[in-house]
Amino acid sequence: MVMRILLGPQSPQPNLRKAIETINPDGPIVVITAGWRDSEGEIGELSEVVGRPVEDLKLYQRAEEIYAHEPSLRDLKRERQDKLTELQRLYRIRLSATIVAARKLMRTRADPELLRPERRAAINQVRALDQHHLRRIRAIHQDFDQKRASLDIPMTMVHLDEVRRLVSEAGLVLIAGGHVAVLLNRMRLFHLGGLLQQKPLIAWSAGAMALSEHIVLFHDAAPQGKRDAELLDAGLGIVRRRVLLPHARTRLDWRNRGRMALFSRRFSPAVCCTLDNGSMIQLDDEKLIASTGSSIVARTGRKKDLSNS
Amino acid sequence: MNPQIENLYSEGIPSVRLIDEFIQNNRFPLVEPGHVTFVYRGQADEVNLRRWISGLNTAQSMQSLEGTDLWALTMELPGKSRFEYKFEVVRGGNRDLVLDQLNEVQAHDPFGANSVCQGFGYTRPSWTLHDPEARSGELTGFQMHSQAFESQRDIHVYLPARFRRNRSYPLLVVHDGADYLRYADLKTVLDNLIHNLEIPAMVVAMTQSPDRLVEYTGDLRHARFIGDELLNEMKLRFPLIDNNSARGLMGASLGGVASLHAARQYPNRFGQLLLQSGSFAFSDLGHHQKGPVFDPVVRFVNEYRKHPFAVAEKIYMSCGIYESLIYENRSMAPLLQAQGMQVKFEEARDAHNWENWRDRLRNGLSWLFPGPLWMVYE
Repeated sequence: MVMRILLGPQSPQPNLRKAIETINPDGPIVVITAGWRDSEGEIGELSEVVGRPVEDLKLYQRAEEIYAHEPSLRDLKRERQDKLTELQRLYRIRLSATIVAARKLMRTRADPELLRPERRAAINQVRALDQHHLRRIRAIHQDFDQKRASLDIPMTMVHLDEVRRLVSEAGLVLIAGGHVAVLLNRMRLFHLGGLLQQKPLIAWSAGAMALSEHIVLFHDAAPQGKRDAELLDAGLGIVRRRVLLPHARTRLDWRNRGRMALFSRRFSPAVCCTLDNGSMIQLDDEKLIASTGSSIVARTGRKKDLSNS
Repeated sequence: MNPQIENLYSEGIPSVRLIDEFIQNNRFPLVEPGHVTFVYRGQADEVNLRRWISGLNTAQSMQSLEGTDLWALTMELPGKSRFEYKFEVVRGGNRDLVLDQLNEVQAHDPFGANSVCQGFGYTRPSWTLHDPEARSGELTGFQMHSQAFESQRDIHVYLPARFRRNRSYPLLVVHDGADYLRYADLKTVLDNLIHNLEIPAMVVAMTQSPDRLVEYTGDLRHARFIGDELLNEMKLRFPLIDNNSARGLMGASLGGVASLHAARQYPNRFGQLLLQSGSFAFSDLGHHQKGPVFDPVVRFVNEYRKHPFAVAEKIYMSCGIYESLIYENRSMAPLLQAQGMQVKFEEARDAHNWENWRDRLRNGLSWLFPGPLWMVYE
């Protein structure tokens, strides 16, 4: 049994210390702040909150060094990223058309006997598109992994060994939020998925998203207004059957019940869990042990307290 | 009558001291919901308000206030409006255009400065002001030889903070780039929007034509310069994302025409267009009335209206409702949209000026180039 704690944003009121006390780690604490990109490693405030020594794994900086010195890997990564970016654009074109129909059907009123099967079919079309997108993404990652295996990348191997050693020796791994794609890519680069599976973990915001099976991007209050939630990638799959939604209070349009109901049903059977400032979800392997300040998005589009669900 | 002026006269003709206090204790022009009152102080035979508002009488007489050297004019103005003006002061047969000395808000353009009237509720967007937390990008530049023009061209380049050669960036080409920098605070806007994750870190190439009345009016040499020469030069010099969607053209007024024209000559080479108050003059019947400079513009726009097609993926257009070009822009937007391009058209209670264009940059840029805000969960 391995304990994992998922938290919401650590601002304005951090609850990281409380989470650490819950786990009471035996051994050093390491942190991954790659999602902060250029600000990676600036962990002064974080160390104060933790109250004991913390070592940053510096995955972002290590990756920058690797890409600067091992152009074959850098080019391969760039090729993969270009493909993923383009694929995401194509997916978005299909998604925008598909989701409009589902959303209209969620809003419309008609004889339930006629309407329900149409709604179900429309949502299934969105789900099928998401699954298709995920398969295409996985194929790109597999292709990358195969090509990477044949590269001569000594510097990568040195860093990889060092990172894996630090993680192996750690009693607790913290994963901070930030840019979710950057964070995920760096953790993948160092093959951390399997290793983290065995470790007590505390992850917040994007860090929690990266641990899940499916990473869903969402923002109903962006400068250009609402955007359709979209599937970015498969996560590390350590936290299963949950779609994690940091900043849900401000980023989701809870007044729009139909929109939220579609959100919930689209990703079912995974449960959509909110992670706001103050939220804490405690898992023992996959089993929910306790939660505070976190809700799920019910099939009706309403909020429901996670601890009562 | 405006309440402050009414108050000034509450005990009869005001003394010089009372007028001094009135001037000192108020901000000018005097703004209230739905109205604005302009005040000029000085000896004159006549004072007119000269407004740069299309569709309204450009000169309107101000009224001399009894027993004082004050002149005033109250006009209707919808909330959040903004326009530029000067006072025309007539003394001894001479007419002088002067700034409003009681109003420190001014807008600048290549022809000088104007006073700015900000209607009730208008506030300058915070993202147009320097944010000390936003990391500063770098302005650099180079000179290149244009075969199309057979001359040297200066290119200003904005590189985002933390620019790195091992990354790839979107490219935005801006017509009248130096003017955008000077009069529309483009660098500050880019720094802030990138810092706020509303647009991605991007490379911006800024051109400045020595003869925009010719080169920006549907000139094939200009299209070649932008679509071929400059793009290739930028690709050689900077790490750019090799994708049409990650390239944009932007311009205001004739710069908008130049952008659309270049995009038409090189369809989809630039996936994103940002066209502000584009001077899309056209004629449905007979000859246009806009003067000979617009002959080539009308030829180009008429031709495009006759044979329209998709030239980009997305187009953001904006125009002030207090400028005559609102008619042309309202006509162009549905035409462009009908070609299958995504078009967003925004109208503002503003006129043909750089601050109008500045205030629309956030909506335009973040729509055409959505930033990583979407990806960041702190």
